[in-house]
Amino acid sequence: MKRRINHDGPLFSLFALIAGLAIIVPLLFILRHLFEPSTDAWRHIRQIWLLAYIRNTSVMIFWTAFGTALIGTYAAVLTTRYTFFGVRVLSWMLVLPLAVPAYIAGYVYADMLSYTGTVTRFLRLVSLPQLLQPMTMAGAVFIFVFTLYPYVYLFVRAALKRQSAAYAESALTLGVGPFRAFFLVVLPLLRPALIGGVFLVVLETLNDYGLVAYFNIRVFSFAIFNAWFSFGEVVTAIRLSAVLLIMVFVILVLERVLRGHRRYTVHVKGRVIAARPLRGLARVVHPFCLWLILGFGFLFPTMQLMHYAVLTWRNTLNMTLFYNFMNTLTIALGSTALIVVIALMLANFGRFRPKGWKRAWLKATTLGYAIPGAVIAIAVNLFFITVDRQLYPLYRWLNPASPVLVLSMSLGMLVFAYILRFMAIGYNSIEAGYDKLGETFTEAAYTLNHRKLSTLLKIDVPLLKSSLFAAAVIVFIDVVKELPLTLILRPANYDTLASRIYEYASDEMIQDTGVASLILIMMSALLIYALSGPKKRGRSAHVRPY
Amino acid sequence: MYVHIENLSFSYPKTPVLHQLTFTMQKGEILAIIGSSGSGKSTLLRTLSGLEMPACGRIHIAGETVCDTSRCTPADKREVGFVFQDYALFPHRTVAQNIAFGLHKTPRKARQARVDALLEMIAMTGFARRYPHQLSGGQQQRVALARALAPMPKMLLLDEPFSNIDTDLKHTIRLELASLLKKANMTSILVTHDEEDARMLADRVIVLEGGRIVHEERVVRTPRH
Ligand SMILES: Nc1ncnc2c1ncn2[C@@H]1O[C@H](COP(=O)(O)OP(=O)(O)OP(=O)(O)O)[C@@H](O)[C@H]1O
Ligand SMILES: [Mg+2]
Repeated sequence: MKRRINHDGPLFSLFALIAGLAIIVPLLFILRHLFEPSTDAWRHIRQIWLLAYIRNTSVMIFWTAFGTALIGTYAAVLTTRYTFFGVRVLSWMLVLPLAVPAYIAGYVYADMLSYTGTVTRFLRLVSLPQLLQPMTMAGAVFIFVFTLYPYVYLFVRAALKRQSAAYAESALTLGVGPFRAFFLVVLPLLRPALIGGVFLVVLETLNDYGLVAYFNIRVFSFAIFNAWFSFGEVVTAIRLSAVLLIMVFVILVLERVLRGHRRYTVHVKGRVIAARPLRGLARVVHPFCLWLILGFGFLFPTMQLMHYAVLTWRNTLNMTLFYNFMNTLTIALGSTALIVVIALMLANFGRFRPKGWKRAWLKATTLGYAIPGAVIAIAVNLFFITVDRQLYPLYRWLNPASPVLVLSMSLGMLVFAYILRFMAIGYNSIEAGYDKLGETFTEAAYTLNHRKLSTLLKIDVPLLKSSLFAAAVIVFIDVVKELPLTLILRPANYDTLASRIYEYASDEMIQDTGVASLILIMMSALLIYALSGPKKRGRSAHVRPY
Repeated sequence: MYVHIENLSFSYPKTPVLHQLTFTMQKGEILAIIGSSGSGKSTLLRTLSGLEMPACGRIHIAGETVCDTSRCTPADKREVGFVFQDYALFPHRTVAQNIAFGLHKTPRKARQARVDALLEMIAMTGFARRYPHQLSGGQQQRVALARALAPMPKMLLLDEPFSNIDTDLKHTIRLELASLLKKANMTSILVTHDEEDARMLADRVIVLEGGRIVHEERVVRTPRH
């Protein structure tokens, strides 16, 4: 056995400890409140609704997972293994639906297909009936599939680009044709990537609140919000959260199992399969399908939003919108900066493949991503209220007229919740960068008598630049799109673009969302372009999806 | 002649690699190809196996023209076995499943018998249910060999089969490989960097430089112990 030198300075260990505590303690609050006495409302919900919630949630995540797996893999295989007109543009544009929050797509599609909507009017023009019912489970799944497939696409694409051609070629020289070889060899080797992507999709689906609320689909996040907001039923909300967390736990275990207990440590280097041109009818059909996918996920909704913007900008493009925009920008930038810095410290702590409790602790600090926003909102809220109660004497000492709730009325609570929820994204991205970097540079710096922090700043940060950038972009986009936490935890009278859009939609003023939605989508789209658009060589090497 | 290659040329887009290669092989002969890095050794094997299309030239194997100016049999119909440099054992399949992979047209009973026979031949009977990552480098190489031999190919191509094996082990494995190939009477081409490998294993050595044959010699072997 090779012994390992302990590379963790006390500073980093302490930091990891505190970060972990800050994440785990709020979750314990859920546990504490779970044992409060039951209420009538909870008994009612348990008897009448609980099974429906479980069923609806399961149906929704099952079909969304299935659809994104299919479409994401299809798009990834075509753009990596074939060349055709427009493939370079398509291969980064297919990521763009990530810039479109599911709730915005939901508002737009519901409106387009409504009696006075664009699609219905067009169909009437050519004397066709409009038979689609968008505000249903099927409609919601459709929207989730076309806005979330890029997770699968990015993962599978990265894996395909790494997969050695020798596997498929071995199959050929063993007399197995290319079609069978794809299903017997190429696809099974993509399984970890596919499962990883689908896993994120499922978590995003569970997290959504805006779309299911608008479509009135009774799934968990909707029910939790209802109990908390509309009925003030803390006990019910917490018990529903607990059931939802059990589902999440099952999904986490399922992911582990499906990803496979076998570690594919047999690395085969060498060339990857060269892309071949599409031939015959396929040259038309496949590009058309890909553009259609991009259309459903990005082009059609944004075009419709542009139309709304033209109709309504006179009323909606005003100072209030500017303030909303500035709020979004500042809180997203601030949270992103905090998350990237904390994630970098944690990744630095975790980079030398820690074992045992350290490993478990790091896992725990990145647990937030698996926990749906509704649950985090409640946990953080309860936690902050308790902290405020404890600190009240201090507040009074500082300012005799101080109210009880200070922290929980501040923006700090929202930022804290963002950090909790999106830490894993930043962490994984940076960890991937460290994995590729190896340890030699850092160790070389240590041997040259540089200390930890100076090594981190002088060696690691410059070398990790692209990973840090990727982490920042992805976190920023997620914060900008985030709805449930923002809605519950923002201070009074504090509006971001996302919450403003939600409010317009709640008032059935869908067309008024046009300008705000476009700004939100374009901000994210630009960043996606910067991250994965056509670029100089070498950049992509460090960018791994999550 | 069992294998007959005539005027074989190959280029990657903008990079000519092989220039008018001509050589022949007898049934059961082991030919070693040596040459410096980038001389086109791997490319030659890829062209012979059907993974790449030659620009011009003919390839006859076992009395059949598998490639000439008018047509080219694709790799999956050519019945030429290939042992890749990193072996490319399918990591999601067991040793037995790897070996059986090319036997998909063989009836189940016969397939099982063939896999068992091959496992015995490479002296790895107890390893049928292991996964590739649970094997040593030398064991992986033997499994890759068994997998390539399983469908009884007309000839076998090996691309640097020793590159992943420690020098300590290399000597025994080299002898093992030679005796396995001879036992199967398998016409084989073996690519290597190492002249010693070539002389220990092969009946004949071809030296490739810049995509041309610059030297050819028959190996005069002192009888093995
Ligand atoms: N996909 C490709 N596209 C363009 N050129 C290539 C490609 N693959 C190989 N080449 C070039 O073809 C030439 C021969 O390559 P090949 O892999 O056959 O060499 P080799 O003799 O096997 O070398 P080594 O001993 O390093 O494996 C090299 O100059 C290489 O740069
Ligand atoms: Mg080579």
